[in-house]
Amino acid sequence: MTYLTQVYAIVWKDLLVEVRTRERLAAMGAFAVLAGVLFNFAMDWTAVRPQDVASGLIWMTLVFGGLLGLGRTFHLEAQDGAFLGVLTSPTPKDAVFLGKTLANFVLLFVVALLVLGVFAVFLGLGLGPHPGTLVLSLGLGALGFVALGTLFSAVSSGTHMGETLLPILVFPLLVPVVIYGVSATSRLLAGRPLTEVEGNLRMLAAFALVAVAAGAGLFRFVVEE
Amino acid sequence: MALAGLGLVREFGVSTVAVDGVDVELRAGEFLTIFGPNGAGKTTLLALLSGRLRPTRGSVSVMGVPMDFGATAWRSRIGIVSHQSMLYAHLTAAENLAFFGRLFGLDSLRDRALAALDGVGLADRADVPVRSLSHGMRQRVALARALLHDPDVVFLDEPYTGLDPHAAGVLRGVLMALRDGRRTVVMVTHQLAQGLEMSSRLAIQVRGRFAWTGARSQVDGSGFEAFYHDVVEAA
Repeated sequence: MTYLTQVYAIVWKDLLVEVRTRERLAAMGAFAVLAGVLFNFAMDWTAVRPQDVASGLIWMTLVFGGLLGLGRTFHLEAQDGAFLGVLTSPTPKDAVFLGKTLANFVLLFVVALLVLGVFAVFLGLGLGPHPGTLVLSLGLGALGFVALGTLFSAVSSGTHMGETLLPILVFPLLVPVVIYGVSATSRLLAGRPLTEVEGNLRMLAAFALVAVAAGAGLFRFVVEE
Repeated sequence: MALAGLGLVREFGVSTVAVDGVDVELRAGEFLTIFGPNGAGKTTLLALLSGRLRPTRGSVSVMGVPMDFGATAWRSRIGIVSHQSMLYAHLTAAENLAFFGRLFGLDSLRDRALAALDGVGLADRADVPVRSLSHGMRQRVALARALLHDPDVVFLDEPYTGLDPHAAGVLRGVLMALRDGRRTVVMVTHQLAQGLEMSSRLAIQVRGRFAWTGARSQVDGSGFEAFYHDVVEAA
């Protein structure tokens, strides 16, 4: 029970700080809207159907926008040694990781919904016959993404390169998420039957599970001196 | 022993030995102040004793419980105040204390937070964001955070850094209240006068080692500054 309370405390604190500062949501949201506007003018929509290219654009926006926010995960933590207070509390390091990952997931999931909305508005994109499954695929991909992003944000925040290092570390590991995520999203937008995306969803879920478990296990080696 | 650090060594890389074979043994209620010049390894020693750093060699135990970095229960026995507040600037003082209270598994968080803030004379600032507080007030909130879970051992790392004389005086009053005969305190400071008046034991650390240790009663308050300089230069 205490463990879950500690995880909840981290989530509550991170989201409350984000609501007060709007530091990361503003950056990610602005990027999502900007990407939607730019793609709207970049494509000749009389020659290309939105659902044929939207899945790649959605995931590209989500990944780049997400990195803007994930890179700042430990920025406020470093101010006035706040994170040291967390690390010297009796909270297990994996609980700290899970809390921060869940908080990041909530933020990125909000951004994922915003990206869908932006593309629906600017590109006239229909969400297909299974919008719930579409949101599920984005959610599963986002969970794996934030688990890796949170872990490597902790790594990069402790280096001189800081946020610049995060994409270099994370992009190669994100390849499975992007492949299965784009594949699932494009089939759902094309209105293909659910049986054709089950495999992709399972792979996204498996990746998310492995990323969360690995992050929880490795986090203490990153944050302990 | 309330706090025992035996044979503590901390090396950084192959050539830097920040702490070089220090022993610290304190009974419940004792107040140890560690003095020393810049670069003597005082903060590193405090980090070892408080579990913020792993020793290269040696061991630490709190209330008889060995510090095991894989376990967490011993962390509930200690409180840490440093020159950094370890608070979240965008949360209020009460929200900060409630947050850390949850991490320590406490209940009645709002009441505890208000009581802790009252203890440092800041009950009326409970709902003020920490970023709006002065440095001195933040240090007092930091002390309230460190004492929230009623720790047996309190570590104070340069608590007076950056405080004006008035704020230092207020903090001094709060720290004096820690000498309740039950709590063990270890403080690192450059403020010789404040360290002398609060402590039951003293140590002077130079180049990673204790160059001198003794009881407060062994030294003359008025001549301590000269004694301190003699010890540092002789070491």
